[in-house]
Amino acid sequence: MNAHINQLKALVVKEYKEAFRDKRALMMALMMAFLAPVGLVIMSKIIIEEAVDEPPVYIKFTGAENAPMLIKHLADKNLFSFADVPEGEKAAWEQRNIAINIPEDYAENMTQGKVIKLHLKADFTDKAVNPPVRRINNAVREFSLSIGYKRLLVRGVDVRLLNPVKLIEQDTAKPDATFMLISMMLGAYLLITAFTTGLSIAIDSSAGERERNVLEMLLCQPVSTLKIVLAKLISASTIAFIGVVLLLSLTSVSVGFVDLTKIGATFNLELSTAIFLMLFLLPMCFFASACQLFVAFQTKSFKEAQSTVGMLIAIPAFIPFVVSMMDDRPEWLNWLPISGQSMIIEGVFKGVEVNWLAVVATSLVTIALTVALVLALAKKLKSEKVVMALS
Amino acid sequence: MIEVNNLHKSFIDKKDKKQNIKALDGLSFTAKDGEITGILGPNGAGKTTCLRTLYGLLSADQGYATIDGISVTENPLAARAKLGIFPDKFGLYERLTAYEQIDYFASIHGMTGKAKKQAIEQVIIDLELSDLAHRKTVGFSQGQRMKVTLAQSLVHQPQNFVLDEPTRGLDVMSTRILRNHLAKFKAKGHCILFSSHVMQEVAALCDRVIIVAKGKIAAQGTPQELCDLAGEKNLEEAFVKLIGSDEGVAA
Repeated sequence: MNAHINQLKALVVKEYKEAFRDKRALMMALMMAFLAPVGLVIMSKIIIEEAVDEPPVYIKFTGAENAPMLIKHLADKNLFSFADVPEGEKAAWEQRNIAINIPEDYAENMTQGKVIKLHLKADFTDKAVNPPVRRINNAVREFSLSIGYKRLLVRGVDVRLLNPVKLIEQDTAKPDATFMLISMMLGAYLLITAFTTGLSIAIDSSAGERERNVLEMLLCQPVSTLKIVLAKLISASTIAFIGVVLLLSLTSVSVGFVDLTKIGATFNLELSTAIFLMLFLLPMCFFASACQLFVAFQTKSFKEAQSTVGMLIAIPAFIPFVVSMMDDRPEWLNWLPISGQSMIIEGVFKGVEVNWLAVVATSLVTIALTVALVLALAKKLKSEKVVMALS
Repeated sequence: MIEVNNLHKSFIDKKDKKQNIKALDGLSFTAKDGEITGILGPNGAGKTTCLRTLYGLLSADQGYATIDGISVTENPLAARAKLGIFPDKFGLYERLTAYEQIDYFASIHGMTGKAKKQAIEQVIIDLELSDLAHRKTVGFSQGQRMKVTLAQSLVHQPQNFVLDEPTRGLDVMSTRILRNHLAKFKAKGHCILFSSHVMQEVAALCDRVIIVAKGKIAAQGTPQELCDLAGEKNLEEAFVKLIGSDEGVAA
């Protein structure tokens, strides 16, 4: 037993030495973990700015002179006439082409208490037009209501009569859950990091070693192929796990730089949550490395291994998004690797009670699949086909 | 002692699936302890296939191979533990130092602690590797690479030692070191199986020579016996005659 452990230890130590000494490949591998938190901060800053800011909007008025009060009210809300547009933004607002037509008989109808029809013209399918239109809509309604209330007040009517039923909304989502975007992106990043970080190490220690003619020598030694596979698996998944830990710790630091309270949201990664996520993603790191080794060992060359294994990355990038889009999630999705992890991570960020049964189930399925892949690969390395591919 | 008995091995032709390529066709020989046995054969004679079967990488269709009486098919790990291998194609772990490589293979062979350290230091001194030992092997010359590979296959003092063309790329000094080393091993009663294309070397080193052609033995004996058998003065002429590609004198 002791001899087996010593042998495995020697194999693992060698894999670690090779993995950590290839500095450039290691940096490349951990790039995702470094860049993702930065990306998160930048994206959330942009989103907050868009949500909080009410940038000036320029509208092409016709008949503005008919309704000076309305124009003033709109100007208070940062909605200006196209005539005042600064030179730099002219082209943009020309293209959005939002036009309001104020009728000639505005003042007359106003005094007579008749309905005045303002016409708002714009391309409503244009995404850039939507927020200005929404704001114009609100501003006009506000203006209209304030006049209406005044009219009733002068007639001695309580304006509260206008609102017999009032809906009071109570948001039961925990405050943490409101900032869905960070959590969704972080969830996807976590899975992608677990999947991609060990990639270059897995390819290098399998297809790379074969191409450097060191695999044959190793296969001739008195060591079982299972130990060889295990050593390579341990080394690649360690790197993947380092990626996950880095990503989580850097994210918890970097979200501090974003003022989420501006949009009424909070997001903090508590230590207990971070530790749970790390442990929860550990089997995932092993599973990912096992997949990569399994594929890379069967390719004919290093180049082929790179492109084939590269395709594997598409899976973790794709699945979380698909799962989060699905409304009716079938039960079995809870059990599968990647989709199961993705849903639980989503739940963790939403602040929903963790479904421990699903955690255990998806972890067990992931571990079982990893073991199956390792055993199959160990068996494959004994086959003549692999040996023949050596030369 | 290495024993190969009636080995048959054929591969499926990739282009024509029905056509089999016979790599080994009833090859048998014995390499005894305390002897250097040379294995000679033209390219494609089945030498590498034979050696790979011996390492337990390929399984023979028929026949068996044993190392110190252990069958390589039934107990490959135990058989390999008795074997030191210098392969035909070899590479180094370029991110490790020479010392670390030798250490790696020593550990795989189950060596630990002080005994391992002593063995590594001994083999480094024996092969005159001291200057290189703590350098990373990237950028080593062909000769230096061969020495490191030799060191890692010799560090556990294997009872049986298989070398596939060990002297290609070595300079005269290194070749002499290797030769002396092999002679020492032989004197200590180890079994050495040695494949080469350099006839002078085989003639100078080997106690017995096995000539392989088309997957079977074409002739065997001491270098002198082979020369006598072919009626030639030097081994090269005898070899050409015996493999039958020259005048069809094959045994």
